[in-house]
Amino acid sequence: MTTTQAAPAAVKILIAGGFGVGKTTMVGSVSEIEPLSTEEYLTRASVGVDDLAGVDGKDTTTVALDFGRITVSPELVVYLFGTPGQERFWFMWNDLVNGALGAVVIADTRRLGASFASIDFFESRNIPFVVAINCFHGHNTRTAEEIRSALDLDPRVPLLVGDVRRRAFSRDVLLALVDELIEAAAPVG
Amino acid sequence: MNPYGYSPGDDEDGGTRGEAEAAGGGPDEDGGEDGAGTMVRPYTITRGRTAPERDDLTLITVLTTALDPRDPPGARPRPGRLQPEHRLILQRCRHATALAEVSAALGLPVSVTRILAGDLVAQGLLLARAPLTVARASGGADLGLLAAVRDGLRRL
Repeated sequence: MTTTQAAPAAVKILIAGGFGVGKTTMVGSVSEIEPLSTEEYLTRASVGVDDLAGVDGKDTTTVALDFGRITVSPELVVYLFGTPGQERFWFMWNDLVNGALGAVVIADTRRLGASFASIDFFESRNIPFVVAINCFHGHNTRTAEEIRSALDLDPRVPLLVGDVRRRAFSRDVLLALVDELIEAAAPVG
Repeated sequence: MNPYGYSPGDDEDGGTRGEAEAAGGGPDEDGGEDGAGTMVRPYTITRGRTAPERDDLTLITVLTTALDPRDPPGARPRPGRLQPEHRLILQRCRHATALAEVSAALGLPVSVTRILAGDLVAQGLLLARAPLTVARASGGADLGLLAAVRDGLRRL
């Protein structure tokens, strides 16, 4: 039988943050499927030579993309994409950001610096985002205010503290993002 | 990572129209030595093409098979030459599937999948639904969409 049913519409949300901070874990905790992984080949031709500084003598390199899916309704599917953590791959974020509703930046209080660049990236591109402080290790000894200040975060950017392994927390982080988007989209008044 | 053990000789059967493909029959069967598939240069599968002819197939473009040439009588004859990967995509997209998912399922890089899917779209075998426009430049996502996403998340 040939498929004739209408395809669902798709949107995506990006999950960013430093290496090993829990991006794929968060995708997995809310996704209805096991996180999938695919890879993209990047070539010098497509990125410009400067961008591959540090990838010595290679004309191509690969970047892994992990992603998951939440079927909101038969008509609408949300894809969650973990973005490559290494800074040298960020030139490809332009592709990723295209068509994204917004982003989640995950940070670890022991290595807040690892998430600065993600925050800068979304701020500079005017992409709505929320910050999730991941307490995998139960090591969080700082208050939300201290973290906010350390990240030099705009007071309007939501910041949540929790464990991204927990589905309820990851869901709340995504809800915080969507609530922000709704507020921003709602008519003033 | 490539479960289909593609071997470059497989793509020359385009003229053997009607040859029993035995859907589900193993693309693996003639895959050669262990791991041979992963040794194939990825762009061999695309016959050397490294860029798609169309640039509108994004990671979350939803693909749906419009017509599988293996469909029973009544279907048009198989147009052009389809490679094993093309057939796998058509098989996979009988249920609407995002490009990224197809890529993951086939163990092919996104860029290669994009080129192959583009071939099928060009032949009218595959339908592509572009992602919803949410860019701020074009007014952002609409409230109805956002409310639907919120409701969906709340049900998690």
